[in-house]
Formats: sequence, C-alpha cells, structure tokens
Amino acid sequence: MTIIIQEDSFSISKLILELSEKDNVGAVVSFSGYVREFSKEKQLKYMELEHYPGMTEKALESIVQKAKSHWDIEQTTIIHRVGKLLPKDIIVGVIVSSRHRSNAFKACEFIIDFLKTDAPFWKKEISDKGEVWVSERQEDIIKKANWNKLD
Amino acid sequence: MNLKLLFFANLREQFGFSQKEFTLSKEVRTPEEFLLIMSKQIGGEWIKLFEDKILYKVAINQDLSSWKDPIFEGDELAIFPPITGG
Repeated sequence: MTIIIQEDSFSISKLILELSEKDNVGAVVSFSGYVREFSKEKQLKYMELEHYPGMTEKALESIVQKAKSHWDIEQTTIIHRVGKLLPKDIIVGVIVSSRHRSNAFKACEFIIDFLKTDAPFWKKEISDKGEVWVSERQEDIIKKANWNKLD
Repeated sequence: MNLKLLFFANLREQFGFSQKEFTLSKEVRTPEEFLLIMSKQIGGEWIKLFEDKILYKVAINQDLSSWKDPIFEGDELAIFPPITGG
C-alpha cells in the first residue's frame, strides 16, 4: 500500500505503470479526479486544499484495509494533492491491482467513495463570487452508505 | 487536564489558530463537555460552536469519533466541518 499526500502534480500513467510492473498483476484499475472548472453560478479561479496530517494517512490505510477484507486485491496506490489547485488540475488518484479485474474495479470504487467522506481533506473555492468552503455532497454520503450492504 | 485541540478549514479561520494546548482546571469527559466548558469560560465563538456542533465532526487521537465519546488526559482533539476531499 502506498499513500502519498503532496502539493506537486503527478502523472497517473506513471503510477499505473509502476503498479503494473509488480507481481501477481492481472488487472489494474485507476480513478483520477480533477478540479471542475464548470459551474453555472461562478467562475472558479483556484482551489485551496487542506488536510489533517497524520489522520489522513491513518484514515486512508483503514479504508484500504476494509477494501482488502472484501476483495482479493494485490497493490494499492492512493495519491492526493493539497495546497493551491487550478481548474482542470489533477487532485486525486486511486490505483488498484488484482489478479482478476472484478476485484480491482470494485475495490477502486469503494476506496474513492470512502475517501470522499472519511479522509480528512477540505476544499475551499476561490471564484469571481468570493471564497467559500465546499459543502459535503449528499450523493457522496449515499454512495458510501450503499457499500454498507456488503457487511 | 491537558488537551491538544486542532481546528481545520472554516473553524481554523474563525478561531485564528490551527492548534493549541489547553490546560483545564477540571476534568472533561467528552468533546461535548469540552465545548460546553469553553463556551462558559470564554464565550464568544465557542458558544456558537457548542450550539452548532451537530454541523461539525470530531476526531479523538486521529480517529473519527462522536461528541459523546470519552476523552482522556493528553488526548488530541480535532474539530472540523464535513470532509470534502477527492
């Protein structure tokens, strides 16, 4: 398991390649999230991302452990940026490898769904309308709750 | 009783600090009780935070917790708005 929190940008393809070169890999599934520049109401200038060092890593490790308890996966890389992010910038990457594709697909979606509600990151949007801390999305809460059916 | 308190996001901005050590004259048993004591002793924004606590999350020693979970000497308490990463 690799967990990286950094200000710098990253290449998701490089990380996918690194994971694909490890042992027991029949499938690699990745998710990458980007800063949305589109909104009806406002023009985003940039975003500030803050996190809770220590708890972030602890929460992400726990999410990966939960995923491992449900699916037979091999390697996991989670990378999340903090600091100043511009529209279209990459924010987050989740990469999961497994022997067979189904496990990697499911585990990757599970990890990003839990990251959204359990890993302590906060976004502030700075737009032409001023500054605002982003509110939680009901859709994210519902997506996480849907996984409870697994237990 | 000594506690380390961390604020994040809008709370960090409102209170003007990201972390602070508190020495309390009496024992507090839960994060809720800590906020109650602060709102009585200091007032101001602490009163609003105590009243609005349902809108915020609390972590004890870096684990998501509830307002009524037990806290002990030397614990790290963090209060923050709902998570919006990813």
